[in-house]
Amino acid sequence: MSGTAGYLGAMASISAEDVPALYEGAKFYSPAVGDAGRSSVTSWLAGLLERNGPVPLMRVESVAPDTQCVAVCVLGSGSAMADLPPAGDEFVLAVRQIERLQKVRFGAVYPLAAATISALVPVVTAAQLGVPLLDADGMGRTFALIHHTAMHLAGVSPTPLVAVGPTGESVLVEVLSGPRADRMLRANVDTVGGWAALAAYPVDAGTLRRAALPGTMSRITNVGRVLLETTDPEALVTRLGAITGCRRVARGRIAELEHLSRQNDVTIPAHPSSLVVEETGGLGRQLRIELRSEIVAVFADGALIAGAPDLMCLLDVSRGALATLDSLEPGDLIDVLVTPADAVWYSPEGMEMVGLASHGIPLEHPRRR
Amino acid sequence: MRARPSTSPITLGELARIRPLAGAELHLADPARTVEQVVLAETFDRLRHCLPHELVVLHDEAATGGWSLAAALHLAWERNLSAVVVSRTVAGASSAALAERLAMSLIVVEDDPIEVALQLAGQVSAPAAARAQRQARIAELLAEQTGIRGVLGVLNRELQGVPVALVVGEVVVAGQAAALAERPQARQIEVEVHAAGERSAARLVAAAPVPGPAGVDQVASLLRLARPSLQAAWARSRLDAAARAAHEQAAFGLLRRLGDGEAPSWTAELGWQVGLHNRAVWLAPERPEGEPSEEVTYLIRASWQRGHGGWPLIAEGDGWISWHSGPDADDVAALRRALTGFRDSAVAHRLVVGVGRAHEGVGGLMRSVAEARLAAHVAREAGAGSVQWFDQVGAAAALAWLPTTEIAQVADLTLAELMAAKDRAPLVQTVLAVLDAGGSLSQASKQLGVHRNTVLARLARARQLGLTYDEPGQRLALHVLCYALTTLWSRSRSGSEPSPP
Repeated sequence: MSGTAGYLGAMASISAEDVPALYEGAKFYSPAVGDAGRSSVTSWLAGLLERNGPVPLMRVESVAPDTQCVAVCVLGSGSAMADLPPAGDEFVLAVRQIERLQKVRFGAVYPLAAATISALVPVVTAAQLGVPLLDADGMGRTFALIHHTAMHLAGVSPTPLVAVGPTGESVLVEVLSGPRADRMLRANVDTVGGWAALAAYPVDAGTLRRAALPGTMSRITNVGRVLLETTDPEALVTRLGAITGCRRVARGRIAELEHLSRQNDVTIPAHPSSLVVEETGGLGRQLRIELRSEIVAVFADGALIAGAPDLMCLLDVSRGALATLDSLEPGDLIDVLVTPADAVWYSPEGMEMVGLASHGIPLEHPRRR
Repeated sequence: MRARPSTSPITLGELARIRPLAGAELHLADPARTVEQVVLAETFDRLRHCLPHELVVLHDEAATGGWSLAAALHLAWERNLSAVVVSRTVAGASSAALAERLAMSLIVVEDDPIEVALQLAGQVSAPAAARAQRQARIAELLAEQTGIRGVLGVLNRELQGVPVALVVGEVVVAGQAAALAERPQARQIEVEVHAAGERSAARLVAAAPVPGPAGVDQVASLLRLARPSLQAAWARSRLDAAARAAHEQAAFGLLRRLGDGEAPSWTAELGWQVGLHNRAVWLAPERPEGEPSEEVTYLIRASWQRGHGGWPLIAEGDGWISWHSGPDADDVAALRRALTGFRDSAVAHRLVVGVGRAHEGVGGLMRSVAEARLAAHVAREAGAGSVQWFDQVGAAAALAWLPTTEIAQVADLTLAELMAAKDRAPLVQTVLAVLDAGGSLSQASKQLGVHRNTVLARLARARQLGLTYDEPGQRLALHVLCYALTTLWSRSRSGSEPSPP
């Protein structure tokens, strides 16, 4: 795909011009999220990068192994962040608290999940701290809980972690078992303002070389460029396929939105609902798309054809843009795109953590049949 | 009565008619599908181990909604199961659409799935008991019916895919005419229905597809089950009909004596409309055979009033009077529909129909009746089933009243030579054509389809045999004679009546 003007391959730095592409690409990897917090965060980041200059983006291998690194992300709801915008120092404060606790100085920042707003805030943090950003992350997309990371699978503890709210209050969490951290944090996020700046997974770069998913920041920027460059759905699907390995499984028209009060497993915060799509052309199948905080499975005539941890997103064919899940209406013509997640998620441990069973669907994943 | 105890597996269609599935929302792909076993599936793993022809009731984990039903339907399709039963809380419209797409039967129940599964299992393991239960239910439904149509309605509803009709002679009195149609892979089952002291028996006819959802012996036993209700309804409606016929006849006589004036209020009690524009219809037998019997009147009433229950039918002389009253004198759509619907019965009973013009009030009605009667006489020429509108008759109606038989006897006496000739028919026909054409040979030859010279030759021979049509003093008499002879001969050719000696 090097013929495409927008594709730059791995990048060396992120400047103010890259911010729109970064945002669009981040949206591709988290299709559930709306545009609520867009303008405030993107203009904040673009201003920072214009004032402080571009943030260097480094591969994990090119950083000295003993460099101390920390992951940052936004915890909580995006709409809460739009209501109560950041004061600006929450992420730096969170990082500094861990530095004080561990008596170290972090030499690099990396995203916990290179998707949604959480893909932008590490750039903000790196620009504010004056340290490079690592071209790697812990999820390669978004998952619901903070221990759903490649680092956790590699045995890196998420704690000590610090969450700082927009009010300036902070929470420090130290636990023995990773999954406990999320539960303790959820209880606090509402209290500190609906969202919080999170700094977690303090670890040296040597460990990160094997524990993090490489190249993900470059990837979302390139995806963003493609999305901004064309609105022709055919060209979009082909070019996205070249970068992300995604493919279109069906095109169809939304027939029904079902909001069911189904049995819900309490650990994942979102109501399950279901989308029925009549395939246009092809076999004319009936697609059923299961939604929680993201798209978790796609059934065609009742047969499972894609499911978590695959990344499934919907392309609004008439607009030639990604459709966010809160913007769907019956009658919309959509393409269903399925992108394979990073290989680590298809391991038995990965599947157990973020696979179909974790969403209450006791069926075998189509990639493992 | 049965040849063998019916132990063949019960079908979906049969199960769907008895509790607990009666009243459930049914999306049956194939009601004839047999059900060999019932499985209560609470996990997808259980579903994966189902065998073909099993009916599966989903609950618990396998019925969590949305995707789970879609996935279950797909598995059921893969395993060739008979049907999927699921609770209402889980099924949506899209599930029904998917079931239809996969040609998988989906049954949505209100009750607890476990309860339903237990009851179904009992029914499937003892099909004979389930069938008996169904028959008992139908017997109850039949007993509630008081009319013939109601009884046939229950039969046709309960025996889905098996049309049932009540037939008298060859005429369908109620039910679905499809029951009489000859179809491959369908067996006709007949049950006689006698009313007490009846000569002409009615028959209940059903066309059961073989092999079909309902076994042949089962259909037969249901028809027999319907017989008592039908006989009761038949007798009752006969009594009602006889009373009503007498009532209507008397009322019409009174109305006729009333002459011109306001429509009396008692006409409304009979369901008659007289005040508006009335257009009368005269139903008459093709060949008058004196006053029709009560049975025939009953049958004619049944088929004439099908779909037009409010229209009167009064036996009068050798025919029946009916009329349609409406605000618009030119609106004949309803009447045309009724006539079209009646056509088959008219042919079956060898009737002709005359239709009068629309006139206002009681006097108008009587006038329209006279016109309709005239039109019916004209219609006889065209044979059974024909309809004649008075508007299109005009003065030609006068010819319909000619006593053709008597006139023909006059011809036998006065034109003995002609009547003895073998070629009398073409000769008379030719003379009639020439007279009709006002003496024009070319028009007559065109109408007859023969050469002008042939016409000339025949005229010459006719004159020799005494048919001196060109003598002015005899022309009218001979024209009438020729008309009468031609009408009589053409009627005897088409009909069964032998020509008079």
